Amino acid sequence: MERLGSLWGGKFFANLIPVLFGILGVIVTNLPFSVLGNWIPSPMYALMPIYYWCLVRPDLMTPGWAFLIGVAHDVISGEPPGIWAAAFVATYAAIDKQRDAFAGLSGLGAILGFATATLVACSVHYVIFSLYRWHLMPVTGSIKEFAVTSILYIPVVVILAYMHRRFVGPLRREF
Amino acid sequence: MGNGIWRISRARGRAHLPLAVVGALAVILILFGKAQSSLFDRARTDVIDWMRPALVATRLPMEAMSRWAGSIGNIFWVYQENLKLKEENARLKQWHNTAQVLTERLQRYQLLLNAVPDPALSTVVARVIGRANHPFLQTMILDAGKANGVKPGQAVMDQRGMIGRVYLTGEHTSWVILLSDLNSRVPVSIEPNTDQAIMGGDNSPMPVIETLAHGVQLKADSQVVTSGDGDILPAGIPIGVIVPDGRRYRVALFADQTMAQDVQIVDYKIKPEHPPSVAQQELPVTAAGLAPEAPQPQITQQQQVAPLPPPVFKPPAAVPQKTPGQAAPQPGSDAETGNQ
Repeated sequence: MERLGSLWGGKFFANLIPVLFGILGVIVTNLPFSVLGNWIPSPMYALMPIYYWCLVRPDLMTPGWAFLIGVAHDVISGEPPGIWAAAFVATYAAIDKQRDAFAGLSGLGAILGFATATLVACSVHYVIFSLYRWHLMPVTGSIKEFAVTSILYIPVVVILAYMHRRFVGPLRREF
Repeated sequence: MGNGIWRISRARGRAHLPLAVVGALAVILILFGKAQSSLFDRARTDVIDWMRPALVATRLPMEAMSRWAGSIGNIFWVYQENLKLKEENARLKQWHNTAQVLTERLQRYQLLLNAVPDPALSTVVARVIGRANHPFLQTMILDAGKANGVKPGQAVMDQRGMIGRVYLTGEHTSWVILLSDLNSRVPVSIEPNTDQAIMGGDNSPMPVIETLAHGVQLKADSQVVTSGDGDILPAGIPIGVIVPDGRRYRVALFADQTMAQDVQIVDYKIKPEHPPSVAQQELPVTAAGLAPEAPQPQITQQQQVAPLPPPVFKPPAAVPQKTPGQAAPQPGSDAETGNQ
């Protein structure tokens, strides 16, 4: 299959796709559009490409990119600086440590794997925010965020997988 | 999603060093942001100002999709909705007539009592181009900023009631903290007894009445409006109605924060109150039967600042010898001007 990555310019663009999806996830999370109303927090769309490409192409989704996507999330969402960045980096570290276990999962197991990563992100975010405000924050919002993000990973991972197969692909040395 | 499908690359070892570095960077950023929040706020507004065209462009298809998705669900309820709206319309027409009569009567009373009118409120209409609904944060981004006269602290409302307050302004964008946000605190007044309270958000759709005088019992459906305390927000902006929640009271907001697309930013300017001008008959001098002094000629500002003409040297004119019986020269005559 002729991939977009065959041309130099196309390859450059293809290498940026994981990061662009991360930024897109940040923007979509903060758009003035709500399917679920005010009752459920916006899902963490930005975490999905971080998790996905951290497993399949860690050379394209590096810790630095995860950090920058987190900073973008902090900037656009209006939260205190560095909190989402730290949460995403901590999640990246957890995924990186257990990459073999996560990468071996398929089907429902893969969803549970992402749910575990989401749990790490939500927990780190909760702890850092509580320390930042020096006040124990209500936990219900974080639970809702964890649930909605884990469920919405199912349709989003189909898009990510398509983009990966069509444009990004595995490392050349792995063929 | 296993290795067999996507051939997972194994570059774990190389990621460790940057991971520690970016982890340290994240901690430094948090500490720096805590110490210098204003610096980060300025950076945030600059970034959002820069991203504004992209956010506006993304908003349009999303809004269309939202309408489309909403209309699908509504199709099934069109008939019932139509009947309900007709009934509501008939009832509202009656209220409209009553409101018009009462407004005219109120204006007449105000005129008779020489009442001080409410301070003028001008508004800036803005569109919502971003909305953050996170566990500990509920904010909006509007496409109006300092260039449009938006300032921090101003109230933001839709056609039904208050939504939140501006807390950060960029050149062309501004951030709104919603009433339901954890950090929101608004002084309110609860009708009909004008009980003063503080309404605080807890990230649920209905904010909580937090501070209320001891022993005050509120009734359900009592209207909540801004009290105007602190001179930051104007008094009387409708917010919602009281809903009892166990031993606490919550406020069901009139405005829909999740659906608001166009909002008004209320520019609250308290006009200085000038005392009413004194009538001539009310002056004590006039009342005592004495004639008031002639008014002094008032020098206007234009006259004060007008430059004086440069001095012109005039040679002294020869003064004619006055003889008895000779009349003094008339102003403007040749003798007065020196022309022979």
